Amino acid sequence: MKTLLAVLAALLAFPFGPAADAADKVVRVGAPLPLTGPLSPEGLKQKRGYDLWADAANAAGGIRVGADRYKVELVYNDYQSNTPRAVQLAEKLITDDKVNFLFSPFGSGATKAASGVSEKYGIPTIAATASSEEVYNQGYKFLFGTFTPNPTLTEPLSSIVKAKVPAVKKVAILARNDLFPLAIAQEMDKSAKKRGFEVVFFEKYAIGTMDHASALTQIKAAQPQWIFATGYINDLVLIRKQMGDLGIAVPVVTMIAGPAYKEFVEATGKLAENVSSAAWWHPAVRYRGQDVFGTTESYNRAFEARHKAVPDYAEASASAAGAILQVAIERAGSVDPKKVRDALAGLDAMTFFGPVKFGPTGQIVSLQPPVFQIQDGRPVVIYPEAIKQAELRIGVK
Amino acid sequence: MLVLQVLANGLVLGGLYACIAVGFSLVWGVLNVINILHGSFIVLGSYVAYYAYTAWGIHPFVAVPLAGAVLFLLAYALQAGVINPVMASPVLTTLILTFGLDLLLNNAMLVLFKADYRKVNLANPLGVLDLGGIVMPLDRVAAMALALLLTGALYGVLSASRVGRAIVAVRMDREAAALMGVNVGRIYAVTFGLGAVMAGAAGSLLSVIFPISPLNGPLYLGKAFVICVLGGLGSVGGALVGGLALGVIESFSALAFGPEHALTVAFALLIVLLVVRPTGLLGRRGYE
Repeated sequence: MKTLLAVLAALLAFPFGPAADAADKVVRVGAPLPLTGPLSPEGLKQKRGYDLWADAANAAGGIRVGADRYKVELVYNDYQSNTPRAVQLAEKLITDDKVNFLFSPFGSGATKAASGVSEKYGIPTIAATASSEEVYNQGYKFLFGTFTPNPTLTEPLSSIVKAKVPAVKKVAILARNDLFPLAIAQEMDKSAKKRGFEVVFFEKYAIGTMDHASALTQIKAAQPQWIFATGYINDLVLIRKQMGDLGIAVPVVTMIAGPAYKEFVEATGKLAENVSSAAWWHPAVRYRGQDVFGTTESYNRAFEARHKAVPDYAEASASAAGAILQVAIERAGSVDPKKVRDALAGLDAMTFFGPVKFGPTGQIVSLQPPVFQIQDGRPVVIYPEAIKQAELRIGVK
Repeated sequence: MLVLQVLANGLVLGGLYACIAVGFSLVWGVLNVINILHGSFIVLGSYVAYYAYTAWGIHPFVAVPLAGAVLFLLAYALQAGVINPVMASPVLTTLILTFGLDLLLNNAMLVLFKADYRKVNLANPLGVLDLGGIVMPLDRVAAMALALLLTGALYGVLSASRVGRAIVAVRMDREAAALMGVNVGRIYAVTFGLGAVMAGAAGSLLSVIFPISPLNGPLYLGKAFVICVLGGLGSVGGALVGGLALGVIESFSALAFGPEHALTVAFALLIVLLVVRPTGLLGRRGYE
């Protein structure tokens, strides 16, 4: 009789018990983002990427932790494009909102600033948009980044130009005076010199510059065959426009980071043609991931269904940060910060974003960032060979 | 050759700066209101031009009256409804009020238009003017010429029309003007509206040159401030001279000290000027 009652009780409880439990189990991930202010276009891209991951993970029933399922809950805080505020909010997310994990703020500068906070509290943190090595060389144990170091962009670019465009002898570099744009310009300087190019112009411009005519006039006078400009989309749209205004035509023009975004092509129109760039990811890459998104194609489809647009590398990297965190939690079989940290450090997994393996500093070492060029109004991959869609076209007018 | 090209760059840039600052100078000089909304007004003018071009194919230069009209109505309503009641208070009150209104307008634009940078891409770009090796982009030259034309028209309105004389009268002595039968509240609203017309027109002209985003509002406002202080407050000529001076100074300091120091040098000169000539290059009272 007792057994029967127990079985009955168990049967009655079954439909409710585990369901109620599942609803209680939640993984909270905090994300301080620049949702307003000058960096808001970037902040909103990251948000789109994170949201897509959270929805995919929850639609699949949540994150598997042993026998349990955890729902993902994202906690966004807007730091208004103000880096000191990003640091404060990272701390608030950990202490007040009790998040289990953190996604870094936008870009190398703010990521570096906020990384000290997550280190102090021992909260595993994934940076979706920080590439500069200065971010990762602080000896921190809880910071992981999905972008390879800057030379992985400038090295293949320089090799391709060296091999395909013998006319290129002199290079001019114009850089935004900001952590990432300046760091990648310095890498370009090294990559160029290493291959025997002469760097005839290397100048910085201040954040918020509204006119590049003087710098471009000097570049024109120095007669380079390759112009390499860094900055964010608004800077690069203006620089490209003013190059046209001054009648500058050279064999190769490279801009980082902007041409990967469709907004760049829309804002510059014909001037975008043949501008080359490099990024950490491109929708044309093809990987078969073990993560929640599966293949790159199925990620692209999920993104397009939701946003009616092709994902760019910033959006994909944000989704990848989530997918990687999920793989690490599932492999750790726990949401304990220390265990998940160790799982991240030892991770060797394939994702829709590419192979994921973090180096000793926490920065990803397994990705091969594609080089691409705007051809006929759309970005096409010219490197690596495995996913190449077209040859480098020469001549930017 | 290099120096001549940089001078040409500076003058053309200065022309654009002047067109950014004229409306701001008018409102500050006549109403004694530091209109923080000015930058957002310019951006709104750019959006009017952008949508007129993408939806109906209207050239941004032709859309100037449309942008001006939209901005006039908005600004007239704001001044008559919100700013007039506090006009008698110290200048900081109106400054804070327009600051608050700017936050509202700016965020409304962020919600409405998003923060993505856009630009008007002319199907037939105007190309460049080549003067024996010195190149000048024709869209900038044309925008500058149109801005000068509008500034001239504004000067004409202020010096010859009935409403213009009333604006000047209110500027010189508010009480006396009121005693002479001038409706001071209405004149305030018209002046604020005219300032916004200039902002809207500038925005429309600039939409083919600069990327458009609500985030550019503070950039335009910052430039307008510097130009007004540099050129001297309260005269059409002051904004023009200040704009051209700033354009040329920025261009040559970028050449001499590198582009990252263009602004540093411009601001250093501004401080020097404030010390030796606090009224600005052409400082005068009112639009007499």
